[in-house]
Amino acid sequence: MTEVLQLIISGAIQGMIYALIAFGYNLTFSTSKTINFSLGQIVMLGGVTGYILYIDMQSGQLSGLPFIVPLIGVLIIGALAGAVVHKTAVEPSLKFKSEYTWILATLAVGIIIKNGVEQLWSTGDFRMLSPLGDNVLRFGGVGVYAQEILIVIVSLAIVCGVEMFKRRTIYGKAIQAVSEDKATASLMGIPEKFVITISFMMSASIAAIAGLLVAPLTFVSASMGTVLGIKAYSVSIIGGLESGFGPLVGGLILGISETLTARYISTGYKEMPGFIFLIIVILFKPNGLFGKKIIKKV
Amino acid sequence: MKTAQLTGTQRTIKILQLLLILLPFTLPLWVESQYYVQSILGRIFIYTILVVSLDLVVGYIGDISIGHAGLFAVGAYTMGILNSTAAANAGSTMTMFLEWPFLPSLIVAVIVTGFFGFLLGFPSLRTSGPYLAVTTIAYGLIIYTFINEQEGLTNGTKGITMAPLNAFGYNFNDNKFIWIVYPFLLLVMYFKSNLSKSFWGRAFEAIKFSNIAAESSGISKVRYKLTAFVMSACIAGLAGALFTHLDRYIAPNTFSMDFSILALMALIFGGVRSTFGNIIGMALVVILPDLFTWFKDYRLMVFGLLLLLTLFFLPNGLAGLMRKHFPKLFEKPKPIFTPSDRSQIEFKMEECKDGHTPLVLDDVEMRFGGLVAVNKLNLKVHPGTIHGLMGPNGSGKSTTVNVITGLYNQTTGQVNAFGKSIGKMKPHERAQMGIARTFQNLQLFGDLTVLENVQVGLHKHYKSSFFSVLMGLPSVAKEEKEKQIEAYRLLEFVGLESLANEQAKNLAYGQSRRLEIARAMALKPKLILLDEPAAGLTTLEINEFNQIILKIKSAGIAVLLIEHHMDMMMKISDEITVLDFGKKIAEGRPSDVQANPEVVKAYLGAEGAINA
Repeated sequence: MTEVLQLIISGAIQGMIYALIAFGYNLTFSTSKTINFSLGQIVMLGGVTGYILYIDMQSGQLSGLPFIVPLIGVLIIGALAGAVVHKTAVEPSLKFKSEYTWILATLAVGIIIKNGVEQLWSTGDFRMLSPLGDNVLRFGGVGVYAQEILIVIVSLAIVCGVEMFKRRTIYGKAIQAVSEDKATASLMGIPEKFVITISFMMSASIAAIAGLLVAPLTFVSASMGTVLGIKAYSVSIIGGLESGFGPLVGGLILGISETLTARYISTGYKEMPGFIFLIIVILFKPNGLFGKKIIKKV
Repeated sequence: MKTAQLTGTQRTIKILQLLLILLPFTLPLWVESQYYVQSILGRIFIYTILVVSLDLVVGYIGDISIGHAGLFAVGAYTMGILNSTAAANAGSTMTMFLEWPFLPSLIVAVIVTGFFGFLLGFPSLRTSGPYLAVTTIAYGLIIYTFINEQEGLTNGTKGITMAPLNAFGYNFNDNKFIWIVYPFLLLVMYFKSNLSKSFWGRAFEAIKFSNIAAESSGISKVRYKLTAFVMSACIAGLAGALFTHLDRYIAPNTFSMDFSILALMALIFGGVRSTFGNIIGMALVVILPDLFTWFKDYRLMVFGLLLLLTLFFLPNGLAGLMRKHFPKLFEKPKPIFTPSDRSQIEFKMEECKDGHTPLVLDDVEMRFGGLVAVNKLNLKVHPGTIHGLMGPNGSGKSTTVNVITGLYNQTTGQVNAFGKSIGKMKPHERAQMGIARTFQNLQLFGDLTVLENVQVGLHKHYKSSFFSVLMGLPSVAKEEKEKQIEAYRLLEFVGLESLANEQAKNLAYGQSRRLEIARAMALKPKLILLDEPAAGLTTLEINEFNQIILKIKSAGIAVLLIEHHMDMMMKISDEITVLDFGKKIAEGRPSDVQANPEVVKAYLGAEGAINA
């Protein structure tokens, strides 16, 4: 029983990371109606930047800087990357009617980021240390790393904070207005392009923070973001791209299914249930579990 | 009908092209280097087959697939498992070696991969764009995981080694490998080119451009999309099966998502829907890293940049660039029609003779959540009459049309056409029964010519089988010519014959409206629904339109006319139904309806009605 509980809790924490990144996908989808396929690489950029600023690469020990430095560094890198993706890939793509232009353009930016990090930094795997140490906290029989508790707290804080920002502040309302109807928002004097750029910067910062948070649990490497990005995107689709709390539910489903499969079937197959579930959701509820149904008008 | 004669230069170009196509066959005879012929050229050929496969889905159907490496893997591993020998895989964890000969293994590999493509096709029916892209990624990753983990079948990460290739009692190793690969590439290219020129290619294009307009022309989205996916998968499987013998070794790492993206890049560099583009794109992707060794480490970065530049500055790829600068090389003969063509096929419309009422709506109700868009509507359209349907904005006219054509399924009530209940039929089935429609917000296929748009409308009248189309049999060409003339006659009917070879997106507004009618008439309908055909037209144009509609009526076709223009409605309708807030408020002859106080109230408001 404790074992199952342990697996569920570990899975749920993993799921929080997916949900956090998925939240980033949803943020830009709502304003620009595009998906940033390079977000996984921005997660990696966050992890790598955090590592460079926090750990001494030669010794693998703390470099002595306080954790606030990598935190701010990651936020800046994320915001920059978001702006770059929007300006170089998404905005020029929207001039073309076809969907595949922006899908491929954001994929291309992702490839450039990944290959760039491999060449300019390293192709190796590195161990990131948690600012909270390696202690395992015990609750009954269930063990949890301090870092994992941090993940849950920060993820929930970010999701709630952004939702509050969107609902309560005038700037957040501008974002929502652009999501509802770009043309009308623009006519009401909202700088539509600027709002979209901001949403990309927010989304990418969130992804970069996710990379920093997850780094101590995995390894830091140039390839750490690829699968993470795809899984988080699956979570977005499962939950519904236009849904607020859908990603949380999707993240929990995917995370828990992974730990359970890894334990009871095989670690090699741990990603299978999530992907199969994704295909099933697409077949039966193409707009996600909590997505709105769209009526096509002719 | 005649096609343009070849000029002297064009003939020279043709001969040079033919020689160029034959050249690779001779390479094994006079080139020693195995590296450049077997390894590089063989790789380009095999990967190009994969690009052709991807082009079918991306270029023709318009869906992005980032999972084709998975299909490629299925083909490769099927070949590996069937064809490999125990001797070549000493010490592996594989438990069975079937040691089949090459050709049967190849055929089975193609069929098995086709089945996987069939499965991949289903999500594409439900969704598209970014949703489908992630589904294809997931699909690719599932296959990738499977070949990694099923060690008994695939030897896991250690891969499968192949024995030297023997086929047809002959040895095809070294450079002679080209003799196996190249004919398959030519065959696949030939199939694709035949398909794209035919009504199949137009059906793909129609689905890509507008699902709804394609279905309304009687094209089944399910059938054509699934066929495209199965065919694409078969070709990817063929490429995979051939790939197994390229390095005589396969391992899971080759078939990762990166490879899917690489193939997509090659496709975009070269340009979609172009034979030339498919080859040149892949050739670049294979040769560039080989030419510049320093480039190897940075190749993904450079390819990424190239991809961005291609997307934004050369949306049609290198092939598009070539087409722009050397139009002669790519010119396709355009049909030219002569007066004698007109006598060949008589233009006639089908009459509705079977005595059934073309359309009966029985208490039809359509709800969207709490909104009742159409409320208990009863409507009867009689054969050979023009039935007007009018009402203020938002009164449910277009919803009614969408219920009749099957875009929406009514919440309650009965929809009957020609004596049959059609309420549960798919849009394309209703179109095939003889219900045609035009669209209020123009749904023409912009990249196709005016003539081809009408040919899409003629779709259900094409009889050639899929295989005769693939093989490019003469009967297919003959049918195509007949249909072109038929389409031309329809263009004459609406007065657009002089624009037959113009792209539809270049038409003026009034011309587009006429083309909509020609395309709907191509279905040879017994009932035609005209959804605001005169919206935005001048008085002069409206008068011409009236003549066209009256001609349709005189052929015995029932017309349901949805219109705002009172004059037009009053002049040509035999009977008029007026809707307001989804409810029928008046029905009868035009003069009766015009005098009806309810109607005046709906249009002018209660106050206006008093003053009127």
